[in-house]
Amino acid sequence: MKAQDLQHIAAGFSHEAFGSQAVFRAALDALSHPGRSFQMPIDCALPRHGQPAAAALMLGLLDADTRLWLSPALAQSDAAPWLRFHTGCQIVTDANEAHFVWVALGDALPALHSLRLGGDAYPDQSATCVIETLALHADVAGWTLQGPGIQDQRHLQVTGLTPDFTEQWQHNHASFPRGVDVFLTTPTHVVGLPRTTRILNTQEA
Amino acid sequence: MFQTFDKRSPHARKLWMALLARAPQPLLDAALAEHTHTQPQWLRRPETGLMMVQGRVGGTGERFNLGEVTVTRCALRLHTAASDAPVGVSYVLGRNHHQAQLAAVADAMLQDPAQHAALEASLLTPLREHLQAQHAARHARAQTTKVDFLTVAREAGGDDEGDEA
Repeated sequence: MKAQDLQHIAAGFSHEAFGSQAVFRAALDALSHPGRSFQMPIDCALPRHGQPAAAALMLGLLDADTRLWLSPALAQSDAAPWLRFHTGCQIVTDANEAHFVWVALGDALPALHSLRLGGDAYPDQSATCVIETLALHADVAGWTLQGPGIQDQRHLQVTGLTPDFTEQWQHNHASFPRGVDVFLTTPTHVVGLPRTTRILNTQEA
Repeated sequence: MFQTFDKRSPHARKLWMALLARAPQPLLDAALAEHTHTQPQWLRRPETGLMMVQGRVGGTGERFNLGEVTVTRCALRLHTAASDAPVGVSYVLGRNHHQAQLAAVADAMLQDPAQHAALEASLLTPLREHLQAQHAARHARAQTTKVDFLTVAREAGGDDEGDEA
């Protein structure tokens, strides 16, 4: 890391253990209840770019053993040195090498099938995508979700996501047990979309 | 690389950080009295860990792991500083968190041209003298155990002459 990067770095969690545990809890809840919107506990200083909830999620999940790919808007921003400093993660330029992918609002989403999908023997070695969206409304007509963690079905309305996401998601779901897991974020909330979840009704509101 | 607008060399920071890493706490306390009890803006609170030290035989041979040392590091901004003010960083041997904090405070202040000269006089100069004195004392202590092998050889040679013949 260069000295001028360090100059503009913001602090991390105000309390490292409690802050990251709260974030991890929210991430766990979001993946256990796909399609339900959870407020992200944000107890950290933030970089100037990237949504707060996504930034806190990355800060909580990354460590020195993980490789991170950032979409172009984030890779140029102060979010990259901030995560590098606080988590020690390795930032890669090829999305298909990354364990975590963070896509900023407005940046193109790399094709899901081009990311690390894990193998049939080791499906856990797949990538986790954090995708920023404009708005997320749980229980509002849009997508109809089914799968483990959902009693019957659940509705989720997403705005600001690439139109072909649902099509890509069908392929992702079909390649189970391989596939990526996704977190959709707004500035304050996070919704989990594990690979086991099906999107039935693909009409976007 | 680290650059400032004055005429200091780009390696200046490297040099003073190396000095601060060796600074004993009493010297830091004396020079940074008004900062010893203030809480800085932490980027990374003092944390203690292990680092593997590597060496080379004779300074040129293959690298080998010499052993692990306990290191405490931290990064901070001064408590009054703006959010883009210089960041002070320190790595010190041992597990003294307060010493690491003061070394980082000194690093942050030394990057500020307005405070550099004052701190250079009140901290870095005494620190250099202290380290030189320490080095000289250690050198002198080692010197007392020095054996002049020439003398030994001559005496031994004188005594052993008969045996060898």
